[in-house]
Amino acid sequence: MSGLRDDLRLLRHGRDWRGRSRVPRSAQRWEQPDNGDDFPTAWARTAAAVALRSALQQAMLKPVIWSQTRPVVHGREYLDSVRGPAVFVANHSSHLDTPLILGALPTRITRKLAVGAAADYFFDSRTVAAATTLLFNAFPVERRARRGRSLAAELVDSGWSLLLYPEGSRTVDGWLTGFKLGAAQLCSMKGIPAVPIALRGTFAAMPRGRRWPQPGRPRVSVRIGRPLRIEADETVPEFRIRLVRAVATLWAEDDLGWYGALRAAADDSLALPTGSHSALPTTASGQPAQDDDVASWRRIWEATRPPADDGPRQVWTD
Amino acid sequence: MGRPGFVLDVDERTPPLLMHEGEGFRLERLPLGSRVIYPPESLPGIVDLEGAIRHALLHPHGSDPLPQLLRRGMRLTIVFDDLSLPLPQMRTPDIRQRVIEQVLELAAAAGVDDVELIAANSLHRRMTPAELKRAVGERVFRAFHPDHLRNHDAEDPDDLAHLGTTPHGEDVEINRRAAESDLIVYVNITLTAMNGGSKSVAVGLASYASLRHHHNVHTLRHSRSFNDPPHSAMHQSYDRMADVIGGQVPVFTIETTLNNEPFPTALRFLTRREWEWNLTDQASYLAVKRSNDLATGKLRRRIWQATEAPYGITGVHAGAPTQVHPHTLAAVHHQQLTEVQGQADVAIFGLPYICPYNVNSIMNPILVMSLGLGYFFNLYRGKPIVRQGGVAIFYHPMPHEFHPVHHPSYIDFYELLAETTDPVMLETKYEKQFATDPWYTHLYRTSYAYHGVHPFYMWYWGAHAMQHLADVIFVGGNRSTTARLGFRAASSLADALELARDTVGANPEISYLHAPPMVLADVR
Repeated sequence: MSGLRDDLRLLRHGRDWRGRSRVPRSAQRWEQPDNGDDFPTAWARTAAAVALRSALQQAMLKPVIWSQTRPVVHGREYLDSVRGPAVFVANHSSHLDTPLILGALPTRITRKLAVGAAADYFFDSRTVAAATTLLFNAFPVERRARRGRSLAAELVDSGWSLLLYPEGSRTVDGWLTGFKLGAAQLCSMKGIPAVPIALRGTFAAMPRGRRWPQPGRPRVSVRIGRPLRIEADETVPEFRIRLVRAVATLWAEDDLGWYGALRAAADDSLALPTGSHSALPTTASGQPAQDDDVASWRRIWEATRPPADDGPRQVWTD
Repeated sequence: MGRPGFVLDVDERTPPLLMHEGEGFRLERLPLGSRVIYPPESLPGIVDLEGAIRHALLHPHGSDPLPQLLRRGMRLTIVFDDLSLPLPQMRTPDIRQRVIEQVLELAAAAGVDDVELIAANSLHRRMTPAELKRAVGERVFRAFHPDHLRNHDAEDPDDLAHLGTTPHGEDVEINRRAAESDLIVYVNITLTAMNGGSKSVAVGLASYASLRHHHNVHTLRHSRSFNDPPHSAMHQSYDRMADVIGGQVPVFTIETTLNNEPFPTALRFLTRREWEWNLTDQASYLAVKRSNDLATGKLRRRIWQATEAPYGITGVHAGAPTQVHPHTLAAVHHQQLTEVQGQADVAIFGLPYICPYNVNSIMNPILVMSLGLGYFFNLYRGKPIVRQGGVAIFYHPMPHEFHPVHHPSYIDFYELLAETTDPVMLETKYEKQFATDPWYTHLYRTSYAYHGVHPFYMWYWGAHAMQHLADVIFVGGNRSTTARLGFRAASSLADALELARDTVGANPEISYLHAPPMVLADVR
């Protein structure tokens, strides 16, 4: 038995729970383009799979997530106007994000919602791919290829809404990073609305590397914004900037309040990501940091600060 | 298209790496900063192989098409590489079968009646009828065995012909039937850059009188490496002999090259880069390793020896040997060459269960030495991967086991090592005695034994490495056999590096040659 234990220990060394190893730096140049988009996902969009998924999400996923965290959902009313396919774009810092959004959206939307998932992460093992596809109706997104073959356009044509994380990956410091063009491009190409969603607190609750939320039911917020459509005279990059700004405004609501965030957006004083750099962290005073070159620990420090409790407004203050 | 070979720098992200160790394997954590030389990924095999063979025979390099060389009433001898190629044995139909069948189709169409097929086993053991059938296929075997499909006998005075000497005074003595043929068609499999070319006929059909001119300590010490023919004294000798042969009998050669698929799908993890192992690969690793470790020695050997390689063929080239071989070498390099910058202080090699001389047999300690210090050490072009005065660390249990039928002279040779391990001393004092021993000769001719001199050649195979290295350590090696061979044993890599410390210091540069699959380090 000790032989088996030793073999297992060596085999597990440096691998995550899915058995994936990080790529040694000197091997990154030779990384193989993942062929996760070869994994069949059509079965997950059949009526039977939709019914099973709906049951799993409502009876299992949502109760578990809602029991481990304290989600607060705002802006669900903006979705009344969404009929037909739309692209939901959200910031991404945790594996909690997808279950939270699925739990926050109305069932009429989630039943026709497919989630873009990194091909090289979720689809390299068939077991993980099958589970992800069934539970989240995931489809593989090739995040490294410049113009990867993707199912997204076909899904929209078939009437499916999509949940995409245009940052491409979970952030390492909890702050917004730049959006890729794909989501804006898709909205432009198909003439469908984009719904911005901002998640706060998920980085603090379950950052990269954690497999379960922090104990103590950390508070998380899901803020849904008004659907946006590309204007006739707007280019795709401009629409992308509008999307980033919309998510950043929702994001800032936790610090600045609804009106304060709107004012900051109007004043153009919101902290936005630039290029590959994260947005500047908002300080405890509610103002974005001034210095462009903010140390990584400060970003993480601010991102893990427990969000203010959304309890009843205090009438009597000191 | 497979990715090229590359050199990995072991960092904190690098998972434990696979290491062969005889009839087993393990994962090993290498020190940070070690370099690992990975072979290029396997190239796709030719899809229409029959078409490729036909094209090669009809459009040869430096020769008329084969049909024009065949005529009624001629003496045709088809010679093919023996059991030592490829490694492991390839899944049937063997490429030799495919080529020979097409050659015979053409010979039949031309009305050739006098056809003889000879396995170019030189001083290797004879192939059994079953092994011959496996290599050439059922139809050829039935049509020609036993009278016209046979092994070369390097000790049959009636079937040897002395063709003369080279300008360097080297005797050229080969199989008489082949030498007196109107045409020799040689069917080759080139697994490494040392195979094929002039070696095929000049070595495969030779006698001891001829072989001793290049299979000796001096030549092998000046073959750097013997996998780099332009810098190999051994290959220069082959070339001189091939010139003598070519002057007297026309040779039409068909050379084939393989891709890097030595293991079947169930053992796919053995050829994949470890950080790319998925759950299936990891489960396969665990299942195969545990079963393998729990199996008895005999069962384990039987299973490994029964493993068939799903090799794909990357090239088929035919024609005059000198014209064909450059194409073959280019194909081998395309599949196996990995560029490496600079030499290391310590080289690590994981030695697998098989070498050219233990197919369906036992890898005895002499063969382990020859595989490690001979074949693996010489898998370089330019310079060895380890510097002069460096240390080589091999992984192999090196059990004290010999096959009494296949390797009788090895058993006696092993006893000689108690007296000396110096190749020159062994060569001058004992080689002739073993080479001419009538009992060994009898066993070679009538049983399935390697020639009496063969263990000496194996020892010379490592002569260059022994001269180059300051120390040789076997991780997991049996202490007494390792000591008999003049090497040291260590129980773990950490211990081996500790032993090496006296020679290369506390922080040596380490290079690990990650093979098999085959890789040829192009050291700059």
